Amino acid sequence: MSALQWLIPWETSETVVIVTSITAIIFIRGCQKSKLFFRQKLFFWTGLLSLYAVSHTQAEYYAEHEFFVHQLQSLVLHHLGPFLIVLARPKEALSAGLPVAGKRFFRLVSTWKPLHCLVDALLHPAAVVIVFAGLIVFWLLPSVHFIAMLDWRIYRLMNWSMVLNGLMLWGIALDSHSKWSPGCRIAMMLAVVPPQILAGALIFFTPHELYPIYSLCGRAFTGVSAITDQQTGGLILWMNAAMMSVIGILVVVHKELRK
Amino acid sequence: MHDRLLEIRGLKFSRYFFCIALLLVLSGCEKQRQWQLHNIKGHLPDLRFSMMSDSGQAVTDQTYRGYLVMLFFGFTTCQAECPATMFRLAKISQRLGESANRTRILFVTLDPGRDTSEVLHHYLAAFGLDRAIGLTGSEDEIEDLVKRYRAAYRPGVVNSAGIAHSAAVYVFDPQGRARLLVTPDEAIETVANDLRHLLELSR
Repeated sequence: MSALQWLIPWETSETVVIVTSITAIIFIRGCQKSKLFFRQKLFFWTGLLSLYAVSHTQAEYYAEHEFFVHQLQSLVLHHLGPFLIVLARPKEALSAGLPVAGKRFFRLVSTWKPLHCLVDALLHPAAVVIVFAGLIVFWLLPSVHFIAMLDWRIYRLMNWSMVLNGLMLWGIALDSHSKWSPGCRIAMMLAVVPPQILAGALIFFTPHELYPIYSLCGRAFTGVSAITDQQTGGLILWMNAAMMSVIGILVVVHKELRK
Repeated sequence: MHDRLLEIRGLKFSRYFFCIALLLVLSGCEKQRQWQLHNIKGHLPDLRFSMMSDSGQAVTDQTYRGYLVMLFFGFTTCQAECPATMFRLAKISQRLGESANRTRILFVTLDPGRDTSEVLHHYLAAFGLDRAIGLTGSEDEIEDLVKRYRAAYRPGVVNSAGIAHSAAVYVFDPQGRARLLVTPDEAIETVANDLRHLLELSR
């Protein structure tokens, strides 16, 4: 397959195209108005493009048909992509790039009291941590995973929930101007580690096939056995949990030391 | 005027209430019998295709409306899974007895270059499956169908381990709706029971 053929989406999703391009346009407009460092732009584009690459190219075929690739896709959607976007601190550029109507809309919405309360509740560190760990465990429950990989609507809901929740967690944890103390933010990142390690280890050590859907619908790599695939997937979840949180904590410590 | 409005609203409300109650009762009926196989009702799209049969005729999903359809993806040079599944399907058909007349097995090839209509015809005849139809078409037609049911397929990719393909048999009711998923390790009797029940439901 040539490089260009890899860019053809396996399954076309208008939502992904629209959201990605609108975000990109707003960011480009914002870059022209506010001064951004090169590394901020690099982080933002890498984050946004990695999200697009795992959800709207031929890579998605492998994510749908091999458990460990699915875990890699989740790693990008839930951890890496949102992490990089947040690391770019794009808030200023994004709000500068917003058209006047959009700004007015956001101002209007932000004065609405019930929504304010709802956002506050959803973005409370405890809530975000619980939802973050809960989503990982929920989508990996064998019966839920079975239907999620079969029904495209639920499959997309799964991917979108991961991206949005990832943006919330890393958005709060890495924000040095946030109202939450650095200790609280480090605790958040530590709190999501044990559930992920536990889930990853459980998958790794299970001797039988937990996710038969991949065998039923066919594995992309015929040479990889079901158990090897499952163990590799479990390992990815096990390792990346600690890894991403450690990187996050290092970023927070580094920022605090420079203050 | 106001009273009349209230009355209409009340009527509308009771109608909604009735619909919801009816839905609950119906869903309760459906729950009475648990399927032994994986129930996939509502999760996969209805059967739709337009391909070439092993007798060289152009066929579509409409050709098999009114029949319970068992859909399987494979290729004739497959060493292990495909012959095993075809053998199982033959046994299931046997177990169904008379009811088997209301079923059709669709074997869709993933190797259209090699599996011509003729090859498919001989292959299915070897299993003694008279209710099985081999389907072939262009790579695009096959990819569309495979993608529709989230099965694995990469056009033209054949490695040492063979062609990647699914192990499941997709069961559609006579109206063409995806209903059940048969795994390779289900007992013949279990499958036959569920198929019989599905046939009874749509009588």
